[in-house]
Amino acid sequence: MDELSAQTGVTVGHGHDRLRPTFEQALADVKDNVLRLGALVERGVERAARALVERDVELADQVRWEDAEVNELQRSINQEITSLIARQGPVARDVRELLALYHAAAELERMGDYATSIAKLAQQLASEPEQPIFRQIPEMEKLCRSQLRAAMRALVDVSEQQARDVCAGDDELDALYKSVYEASIALMESHPDRARQATHMLFAAHHLERLGDRVTNIGEDVVFLVTGQIEDLNP
Amino acid sequence: MTMTDLRQALEVRPRMTIEAREAEPIAVGDAQIVFDVQAFSAYYGAFRALKEITFQIREHQITAIIGPSGCGKSTLLRGFNRMNDLVQSARSEGQVLYHGVDLYAPEVDPVEVRRRIGMVFQKPNPFPKSIYDNVAFGPRVAGFKGDMDERVEQSLRRAALWDEVKDKLATPGTALSGGQQQRLCIARAIAVEPDVILMDEPCSALDPVATLRIEELMHELKQNYTIVIVTHNMQQAARASDVTAFLTMGDDRAGYLVELDTTDKIFTRPEHRLTEDYITGRFG
Repeated sequence: MDELSAQTGVTVGHGHDRLRPTFEQALADVKDNVLRLGALVERGVERAARALVERDVELADQVRWEDAEVNELQRSINQEITSLIARQGPVARDVRELLALYHAAAELERMGDYATSIAKLAQQLASEPEQPIFRQIPEMEKLCRSQLRAAMRALVDVSEQQARDVCAGDDELDALYKSVYEASIALMESHPDRARQATHMLFAAHHLERLGDRVTNIGEDVVFLVTGQIEDLNP
Repeated sequence: MTMTDLRQALEVRPRMTIEAREAEPIAVGDAQIVFDVQAFSAYYGAFRALKEITFQIREHQITAIIGPSGCGKSTLLRGFNRMNDLVQSARSEGQVLYHGVDLYAPEVDPVEVRRRIGMVFQKPNPFPKSIYDNVAFGPRVAGFKGDMDERVEQSLRRAALWDEVKDKLATPGTALSGGQQQRLCIARAIAVEPDVILMDEPCSALDPVATLRIEELMHELKQNYTIVIVTHNMQQAARASDVTAFLTMGDDRAGYLVELDTTDKIFTRPEHRLTEDYITGRFG
């Protein structure tokens, strides 16, 4: 430490001091909460799809109830971020990170709504005569969750490459959705009496497809966080 | 070179007769270049305070110079109107071209330089004279023969002080509040019709309201002047400037330019890690 630093206790230029530990801790806390939100949403999606396949009305109910927790956590994340922006005057990467987290939390909250919608469809399907669920739907659900996990990992690791990989993976989900669409039409044509079941399944697949789009939006947030550029990675 | 010669030289602008440059100057925008700083180094005795600074400042922009204490921000600012000449041990290398004219050429009159390139300091420093005489002082010294009342009013209006002082022009400038005194100093600088206003931490002695008034004033003044401001207040640089230059210092404690870009870019996605670390409050 040179003379000036010894006098002032502040190392400038080439030290390794963290001058804003309070802010950094608050930022880390927000990030933790966003990850927690991601985990809640992932659990909701898994349970909603299971309720659909297993005709489990109670499990579907649970998903619907637990969405309130998702909403509450998102609100609290929004408040924390708003307060940090107002009080800490973040700039550069800090402000980009807070904006990315704010947006990611909003996307996760919407994903929670899709899980709830799928749970409602599960309940409606359970009240209809039994009809095997299209095999693509559980596949879509698995893919959605693995995409969501990868997006959250990209956010934690602040990895542009991982984020781009997540966005590229969305095509597979789109292809599965298309296949459910065709299967639904085919079922309606061959068994007009099962049009309701076909429609419910089509909607469930649609929600999963939209959920995948929201995941790619989080990937775009990570790219923005790293590069400062806003890119459409799911054209 | 006499004052008239300098004025004539300045008429023919830009006079770019500079030899091949070592470094490509960094500049933002395509407005007229006011300062073309070329490998400018400044020394106090054996100590090198600034190391080969190369960049350009353009007309009608507010350029903020930021950086840690001791990185040479004020030395650089004072280099723009040869205020360092007043420090005995100070000397410089490289060039500061003002509209193409080398400010440090032996024939250039530093007094004329300081008339064209005014300065406002950290602490408001009105003369112990009336408000009117504070503003009229510069034009009188420069031999101004026109309507002095008009010049005083116009300068006070431009400094956004007229309405507050028009009924008490004979009272001492020192009787005003800190923020008013600083605006009086700005009026005094404007009264000699400069081209550039240099500001060295102009708000550090002011309260937040007076600070915001000065920042708003800068915004109005840039229509007519080019402004360069040194500030420790990063939020001020972010709020008030168009272009930001970030200086830091090396192990030899000599200041050097790390990055210059639009203020928007510097505060949202700076190119250099050093800039990022400084403005976000992390050093490493």
